[in-house]
Amino acid sequence: MGEDIPIEEKKKSHREKKSGKKAERKKAKKDAQNPNVQELTDKQKNPKAFAINSAIRAERRFRRKQDIDTKKQHVPLVDRTPLEPPPILIAVVGPPKVGKTTLINNLIKMFTKSPLSEVKGPVTIVTGKKRRITLFECNNDINSMIDLAKVADLVLLLCDASFGFEMEIFEFLNICQVHGMPKIMGVLTHLDMIKNRKTLKNTKKILKHRFWTELYAGAKLFYLSGIVHGDYLKNEIKNLGRFISVMKFRPLTWRSTHSYLVGDRYEDLTNQEMIRKNPKCDRNVSLYGYIRGIPLSKNTMVHIAGFGDLRIHEISFLPDPCPLPEQIKKRALIEKEKFIYAPFSGVGGIVYDKDAVYVELGGSHSHKQRDEGDETNIVANLIETKETLDVKMEHSEMQLFTGGKTLMSKDMDVDESEEEEDEPQLYEKNSNKEDDELEAELAQLKSKQISNYKVEKIEDSGRIRRKVVFEESDDVLNEKLAMSEDDDEDEDNDDEEDPEEDDESSEDESVEESKIKPKTQPEYIQLKENKDIGIHSKITDVLKNLNTKKVSEKVSDSTKKVVKSKKEESESDDDDSSDDERNLSKIKAMKIDKFEEVEFDDESDNEDEEDGDDENDDEDDESDDEDSRKDNNSKNEDQASESESDDGEVDLGLKWKDNLAKKAEDAFFERQKSSKNLMKLVYGVFDNKYLKPQDEEIEEDSGDDEDNIGGLFKKISVEQQKLKMEKDKMDLIESTLFMPWNSNIRNWIDPENKLLITNRFVTGKWKESEDANELLKLDDAEDLSDIGSDVYGDFEDLETGEKFTAKTPEAENGDGKGEKRKRDLNDKDDMADRVKLAEKKKTLKEKFDADYDKTEKSTFYEELKSSAEKQAEINRSVFENMPDEMRVQLEGFRAGMYCRLEFQDVPCEFINNFDPTYPLVIGALNMVEENIGFVNVKVKKHRWYKKILKSNDPLIVSLGWRRFQTMPLYSKLEDDMKFRYLKYTPEHVTCNAHFWGPITPQGTGFIALQTCDGSAEVIKHQGFRIAATGVVQELDKSTQIMKKLKLIGYPMKIYKKTAFIKGMFNSSLEVAKFEGARIKTVSGIRGQIKKAASKPEGVFRASFEDKIKASDIIFCRTWYKVDVKNFYTPVNTLLLPAEQKNSWRGLRTTGEIKRSKGIQSQPALDSLYTEIERTVKPFKPLIIPGRLQKALPYKDKPKHSVKDSDKKKQISRVAVIREPEEQKVANMMKMLKASFEFKQGQLKTQTKERLAKYKKTIEDIEQRKSKKLGEIKKDVFRKRSKAELKAQKKANKK
Amino acid sequence: MPAIAKVHNTLVYKGSNFFKQRLVLSVLSGKPVRIVEIRSMADEPGLQEFEVSLIRLLDKLTNGTKVELNETGTAVYFQPGLLHGGQVDHECSTQRSLGYYLEVLLMLGLFCKEPICATLKGVTTNKIDPSVDHVKASMISTLKKFILEDEDLNLTIKKRGMQPLGGGEVVLRCPVRRQLRPVQLMDIGMIKRIRGIAFALRVSPAMSNRMVEKAKGVLLNYIPDVYINTDMSKGKASGKSPGFGIHLHTETTNGIFYSAESISNDVANGEEPSVPEDVGVDAANRLLQEVYLGGYTDSTSQSLAILCMALGPKDVSKMVSGPLSEYTVGFLQHLYEFFGVTFKLENYNSENDEDEESNKVMLTCLGIGYSNLSKRTL
Repeated sequence: MGEDIPIEEKKKSHREKKSGKKAERKKAKKDAQNPNVQELTDKQKNPKAFAINSAIRAERRFRRKQDIDTKKQHVPLVDRTPLEPPPILIAVVGPPKVGKTTLINNLIKMFTKSPLSEVKGPVTIVTGKKRRITLFECNNDINSMIDLAKVADLVLLLCDASFGFEMEIFEFLNICQVHGMPKIMGVLTHLDMIKNRKTLKNTKKILKHRFWTELYAGAKLFYLSGIVHGDYLKNEIKNLGRFISVMKFRPLTWRSTHSYLVGDRYEDLTNQEMIRKNPKCDRNVSLYGYIRGIPLSKNTMVHIAGFGDLRIHEISFLPDPCPLPEQIKKRALIEKEKFIYAPFSGVGGIVYDKDAVYVELGGSHSHKQRDEGDETNIVANLIETKETLDVKMEHSEMQLFTGGKTLMSKDMDVDESEEEEDEPQLYEKNSNKEDDELEAELAQLKSKQISNYKVEKIEDSGRIRRKVVFEESDDVLNEKLAMSEDDDEDEDNDDEEDPEEDDESSEDESVEESKIKPKTQPEYIQLKENKDIGIHSKITDVLKNLNTKKVSEKVSDSTKKVVKSKKEESESDDDDSSDDERNLSKIKAMKIDKFEEVEFDDESDNEDEEDGDDENDDEDDESDDEDSRKDNNSKNEDQASESESDDGEVDLGLKWKDNLAKKAEDAFFERQKSSKNLMKLVYGVFDNKYLKPQDEEIEEDSGDDEDNIGGLFKKISVEQQKLKMEKDKMDLIESTLFMPWNSNIRNWIDPENKLLITNRFVTGKWKESEDANELLKLDDAEDLSDIGSDVYGDFEDLETGEKFTAKTPEAENGDGKGEKRKRDLNDKDDMADRVKLAEKKKTLKEKFDADYDKTEKSTFYEELKSSAEKQAEINRSVFENMPDEMRVQLEGFRAGMYCRLEFQDVPCEFINNFDPTYPLVIGALNMVEENIGFVNVKVKKHRWYKKILKSNDPLIVSLGWRRFQTMPLYSKLEDDMKFRYLKYTPEHVTCNAHFWGPITPQGTGFIALQTCDGSAEVIKHQGFRIAATGVVQELDKSTQIMKKLKLIGYPMKIYKKTAFIKGMFNSSLEVAKFEGARIKTVSGIRGQIKKAASKPEGVFRASFEDKIKASDIIFCRTWYKVDVKNFYTPVNTLLLPAEQKNSWRGLRTTGEIKRSKGIQSQPALDSLYTEIERTVKPFKPLIIPGRLQKALPYKDKPKHSVKDSDKKKQISRVAVIREPEEQKVANMMKMLKASFEFKQGQLKTQTKERLAKYKKTIEDIEQRKSKKLGEIKKDVFRKRSKAELKAQKKANKK
Repeated sequence: MPAIAKVHNTLVYKGSNFFKQRLVLSVLSGKPVRIVEIRSMADEPGLQEFEVSLIRLLDKLTNGTKVELNETGTAVYFQPGLLHGGQVDHECSTQRSLGYYLEVLLMLGLFCKEPICATLKGVTTNKIDPSVDHVKASMISTLKKFILEDEDLNLTIKKRGMQPLGGGEVVLRCPVRRQLRPVQLMDIGMIKRIRGIAFALRVSPAMSNRMVEKAKGVLLNYIPDVYINTDMSKGKASGKSPGFGIHLHTETTNGIFYSAESISNDVANGEEPSVPEDVGVDAANRLLQEVYLGGYTDSTSQSLAILCMALGPKDVSKMVSGPLSEYTVGFLQHLYEFFGVTFKLENYNSENDEDEESNKVMLTCLGIGYSNLSKRTL
């Protein structure tokens, strides 16, 4: 800071304008402002006085504040993230050709400075002091998308901006939504394809807003502007990287209740011979990955997505292949701490396993130059892999140069204590000098070793891996072995693992003979199986001496000397631990029976005492033998190496002394924690079966030696004893009572016994912190110390007030002051008391604070939050200081551990068709979840899906970890809580569905697809692939889905209110089932089924509330139970060959089958649409009886009056008789009329004729005219043509 | 008594011991269990009446349970269904008391689909099992510690019935919970009162007064707050067989109950009749023995508390208990096999315990995150 100030002073200050327009303006402004400032309102001056002006406003304000506060609150969750969390899984998702691979490559490059040549499967990188990430590219397969959405912590959703969002993106978002939303970050690529600036801006805006509506407003969207030289811009990638590194995550329900792994490596452990015999035999496979979620218990089932359920055969944790830096010293990562781990991508060219090292070669072509090129390459690879060098070098060196395969036990070598030891070393090593040395050594060793390593080829999904096997002469081997034993630092190898390695070491000799080294798996398996057999345990003991572990880097030619000197130094410390393991199995046998004895003694009072005695005995023994131990130790080693050569026959006579160190250690441990005995008592039973023995403390008898010498015989007797014990215990009466029926009880009136429990009663002595007497005194003391001694003048007996305060807590049970006075007060006592007092005061103060001070904070929410925090604290602290092996027992394999899971009987397709680009999601199943039952879900057809879904059509469901095909039955929950069967899903509303599937906790979301076929035409046909989404509601072992059923019958005979109904049932048995059922006629008359009639089968008697008509139809409304088909098949895409992975086919829908076979379904005839033909019905005339007619009022009476037409007819003229005169006239008139009419008629015909004639003449004339005209025309044209011809001729002539 | 084999998901056991535990854990974990060689060498081979009755009860309580017995009844295959609950009426075997069955109901009740309302009939008190009073006093109060709201968790004794004929009746109501809660049960507190109930069924009511007098004589040495009721049941409410007994329980300042009891001998069974005074003193001594053993639960409820700890959410639970009974040890072993839960067991010494021979045990475990899979969510 001192330097900064002078620099600042040097800077030229801003010179204000003093004249000119600007200055004037400013001045005016200032003047204008000034008066305002001075004129503050009263409210402004004294806001408190106006705090509550209006009650309503105050209320509103308060409510608003509450609203805002409540909105911010989330349900407090117990924080279960481990201290060292697993790498964050980042899935890079998007349709093809948007630049996913480029992005991953760039990110890797950015974080590690060394890009991978080919990225396959997950890539784990250390990106910061406390953060690792795993990158995974999602291929364009809906199965991969689903699996990744379930495990990804962060999703980079890539989108081609020049094209816009594609369906895949929306599909993926929907998948995410259902399976617990991970953090999603959109990334727009190909922005450089949009040339126009304005359209670029617009598309960005449109895409952003669309993205926001899909996720949430303000969701982060990244822009990668374009590719330069095949890479994205460095700055943009860096920014993205920063965003990733600081991202925070909220726990998701499913993942905080399940543990899971994303496999980043696999190994086929099957015996090569078996594969040779039968290439399709079931395999033993080990998968590796970081545990995520919650701790993984070892005897749970797991589900591998795209494969099926499996039982973990074995699980063990390994040292972290990509560890976080151990100490946080600086802000940035050192270059060496930037690890990268990507076994599928073959990073660094070396892959380490528990029992082997694989060096990757370039492929088939590399064979040709093997003699020279490869050898240098291997080492060159070693040297090149700088990012992993400082830790891996330790293993690699030793594995490559110290000896045979025995030394490749890299998996053993991380222990907590050891890591601590390593820390300083790691930083020392960073100096260049050391590196140079290392390299020099490497070179040196390389020249030595080159001649005698062999390569074993393993074909592995197209890639060739070579197993490195070393051959060495016997003595060299022994040397190395001896050395390795000395350097043996770690204790964390499992019992399971040990024999394997031992076998390996023994194998090496066989290698000498045959010079060809096959992967000798059969022996290993055999040995493992026989583990329980006594002899074998002895063998393993000896073999364990050969246990090879981590070696320091200082391996050089002069190992021998170093080793010897080292041995002497470290013997006392190191051997203990190695012996430790060695003895375990030996002791186990005795141990077990001992515990059983203890267990059923059940004089609980005595147990601990007994144990204590044992310990003491042990100690005595040990101290005696301590001296001889060292001498023997070296002998043992020699012997061990010898015994190794004769493999089976082992002299065990001298071995017992190895126990001594162990005994000492045990005794020590037992003194510290007697708890182990309890654990032993309970869980010791499982030792031989399940538990790994080194996790348990070992109790020993002093008669130890005999056991070992006659081990074989003893063992048998033990077994027999055990059997006998078991038999005795097998059929005991089970009782919850501690002291059943006739056990004797202590007499508690006895004063001696009484003393034991008097203090358990309120009348007894209380704890100091609770005793009212004490508390009262403490209060007094507090007062005294606050105010001083003078206040209480009445305590004049005491010298000072201080002394009095110090004394108070000591005073017990109301002892008199006299006693106090007697005591002489020395200063030390005083100090101690004061401290004690201070503590007490503090606790009291806390209590007081909790009671009174926190009035405001102690809301319900606060309490919940604090209790969650408290629980998290307890969770963290309880197992904190335990060794990992023990912790694993108690809490399982916690998240962040790198674990190896072994599975047996895995179908060979899993290995043969393995493709690292498909995510290997291994999800643990909680209790009951491995079972199958009926799952009742709430489901809604996706609004973008084109079709509705039909009951009993197969559907692919992704639920929990699983993807499976099943046949759902849709239903609707009615108001009477009955599930009514639906044939199709309704549109736009949810309905229920039942299917037979894995039991998954309620509230778990799922998505459904009709097919997961990824072929172009299917996608094109479907458009949007997600058919439905939903959530699990209920699980059961049976279903009650009802379909409406209406039975119809017709009356056969009707008596008053009783009727016999036919046609509803076929037999009297059926009727019997429906006796008492309600029935109803169409006209609404209700009734009841009474009893079956005897004669026509199926007819029954029914009674109605009224007489029914013979034409009535009778209904009986009932329900028919529909069964859900018990069909469930997991989608096993992982087992399919690469080209079929994207096109899994399961059960087809009936529609599909019909379509493929060309079957047209025949419609029911009566459901076809036909024209309605209605015959007209003639009605009979209405006849009203005469009596009725009479009774009717006039207006309703039928009217018999005459019709109008009849009326007309009826009105006939009256006959007129004419006079003769008149008659004549009339005749005359008649005649005249007749002649006139005749004339008229004639005239008419004549005109008609004339007209016709005239028309004819006219026509004739016309005809003639036209004929003439035609002739003329003909003439004219003939002449014209003749003239033309003439003209032509003339022309021709001319 | 670890399982002799594990076939796929099925655990195979030998012998009739721990029969109840195995079935209960099987139901909870969903793992089928096969038990072979049940009393195969005994005079009466195979399952006994009370065990069959237990299977029947479990069948009523669950949906989809499959039970296969061999001809002699010496082998059972039990494939559990999902817990259903609801209204259950069960006539229990008189070989064991209702406590035997009530424990099962309490262990399963919280995880049913519908709240249990169970009416059990049979013997209310015998010498092998905890009596119904015992269940009411200690087990139910233990269970209450693991659920937030304990409404509707109660046991009512309608009738009492002694061996051999029984005739007692109790009604248990148990609510349904989705999850238990993690607990830290460390502070036991001091005993503040002793309560109890003495009953004389089909014998002179004076018996109960005589028992009370003597029991009080012992207990008043420790604490003055002792109050013992006498239950004079008449007619049908007094069951079918004569007998008398006394049940006592203590309550601490932190609401922990220890209980103990003693009953008269079964004369019909050929035992000599017992004197009420002896019974009273015996009960008092047993109670004090429980006090001496200490812990956050009494010895009988240990297994229930342990189960609730193991089935809690994925959090650490802690509890101090008295020395583990044989039943509890077996239970821990079975928990390991069915659920894979390992408890951390250590000797526990609270700071003010001067008596160095305190043999309390601190049980620590990480719950498995068990949740009620039967309950329906809407």
